[in-house]
Amino acid sequence: MTSLAKYRHAFLVGLQSNIIYRWNFGIRAIFSLLHLAFVFILWGAAYNGQTHIGGFDLNQTLTYFIVLLMMQFFIGAFNEDYQISEDIRNGLINQFLLKPINYYLYRFSIFVAARLVSGLLVIVPLLIALPLLKDHIVLPDEAWRLALGLPAMIMAALIQFTIAYIFGLLTFWFLEIQSFIILSLAIETILGGQMFPLDLMPAWLFRISQWLPYYYQMYFPTAILTGRLDWTSALNGLVIQAFWVLALLALAQFLWSRGLRRHTAVGG
Amino acid sequence: MKLIDYIRIWLACARYSVVRTMMFRFDFLMWALVEFFWMGVNLLLVQVIYDHTDSIAGWTKYEMLLLLGSSMVVQRFIMGFVWTNLFEMARNIRTGHFDFFLSQPGNPLFMVSTRKLDLDGLANAVVAVGIVVYALNQLAIVPSLADLSLYALMIFCGFVINYSILLITVSLTFWLGAAQGIEGSYFTLMEFSRLPRQAFKGVASILFVWLLPAVVVSNVPASALIHGFNLANTLWLIAVTLFWLSFAVFVFNRGLRRYASASS
Repeated sequence: MTSLAKYRHAFLVGLQSNIIYRWNFGIRAIFSLLHLAFVFILWGAAYNGQTHIGGFDLNQTLTYFIVLLMMQFFIGAFNEDYQISEDIRNGLINQFLLKPINYYLYRFSIFVAARLVSGLLVIVPLLIALPLLKDHIVLPDEAWRLALGLPAMIMAALIQFTIAYIFGLLTFWFLEIQSFIILSLAIETILGGQMFPLDLMPAWLFRISQWLPYYYQMYFPTAILTGRLDWTSALNGLVIQAFWVLALLALAQFLWSRGLRRHTAVGG
Repeated sequence: MKLIDYIRIWLACARYSVVRTMMFRFDFLMWALVEFFWMGVNLLLVQVIYDHTDSIAGWTKYEMLLLLGSSMVVQRFIMGFVWTNLFEMARNIRTGHFDFFLSQPGNPLFMVSTRKLDLDGLANAVVAVGIVVYALNQLAIVPSLADLSLYALMIFCGFVINYSILLITVSLTFWLGAAQGIEGSYFTLMEFSRLPRQAFKGVASILFVWLLPAVVVSNVPASALIHGFNLANTLWLIAVTLFWLSFAVFVFNRGLRRYASASS
């Protein structure tokens, strides 16, 4: 089997298993839309009496949240950390030590398949809600945004997955990683721009967060595509984002090799 | 079984929970921190919005904080007293382990809802109350004993409403079986109690203020502290509480019947 064929196979298996769980994604998508209603109502009320907050009007802000929602379902990590943790706890990881398949790439192939399914599934309720949403969607028309936004999305997906992978690997050291995951989720939720567009933070806090990986997980590609970052910030961001992709990959590799040393394979 | 027996059982569960929490201190601290951080996240959102505007649907910053604090108090009590128990009930229904609860003496709903206390949730309830106190301070409101008693009663009603919604979403497991994550829908549904009632207009108002009881949970107590006692609001809250509690118990009992008949 050629190298790529292994991972294509993993991708297809991942696709099948995620289609089985389509109801889970479907339910999640519907409740995400409910959350979108919450966001619309909150920001609609906040904008009452003024046209602009932080330089953007209500529709631009609502568009930000809609695009962010799509990002979550297209590039976000859902429970990959938990799945990897389970693999380690159940000893399923052992088979990867014996076979010529890279565990990271294997898991990443499944991640891509899962995102394809969840991404398509979020489009369904969004399309149904489109009559309510379309008057609020306002996208910038600069072509470079797409050119920079797509690599930002791909790198964001890599960062998302690698962070989840790293948390999963923590299982080599800690039996229970639930609390770490949830704490990270809380950090991500703010610093990832899911509660509010990060550019609304005080300037100094915004500058600090531009150096952290969370900024590049969801906010960065969304901000490029919805016009909240200018050309210079976007280019600088891409460089920092690429750095974080490499740094996280290095950390993941380090943890994997260290973790394996601790890991005792019992039985077959 | 008499009321005193139920109280004794609840106290025993409480004692067990405290002992167990002290055994797993790291867990307790970790989860307490996580919940604390989540509360911080919500407060930060309010702060960021008020950095750019003066009011959200006519509520000023500290009024909003009072609203948010009230919503948080109810949520922390839910997490502390019943959430884990109902979450596990969903899991037990799926695995069939729920039979264990049916074989115990006493009302199954009581037994299943009160099994454990989550001290980290209760610890953060203190923080939530602190937020309410802080907001009252900033608003220069000094509530009388009567005001506080009324507020406490309303928070209790909010707790019962939240419990009912949670019970209904969890009870769906009796019918839906393997639909994991349905319990998470509770959080999304009750998210709306973090918003002021005046923010809801038109269809949104009908859906989220009148049909879904989320908004009433936090708005009625907060308004009572800010604007004083309002008979209409109070009656509305009580009526909503009674309705949803009866409906939730009804749904649970129907589900129970279905479950019991399936495993025989």
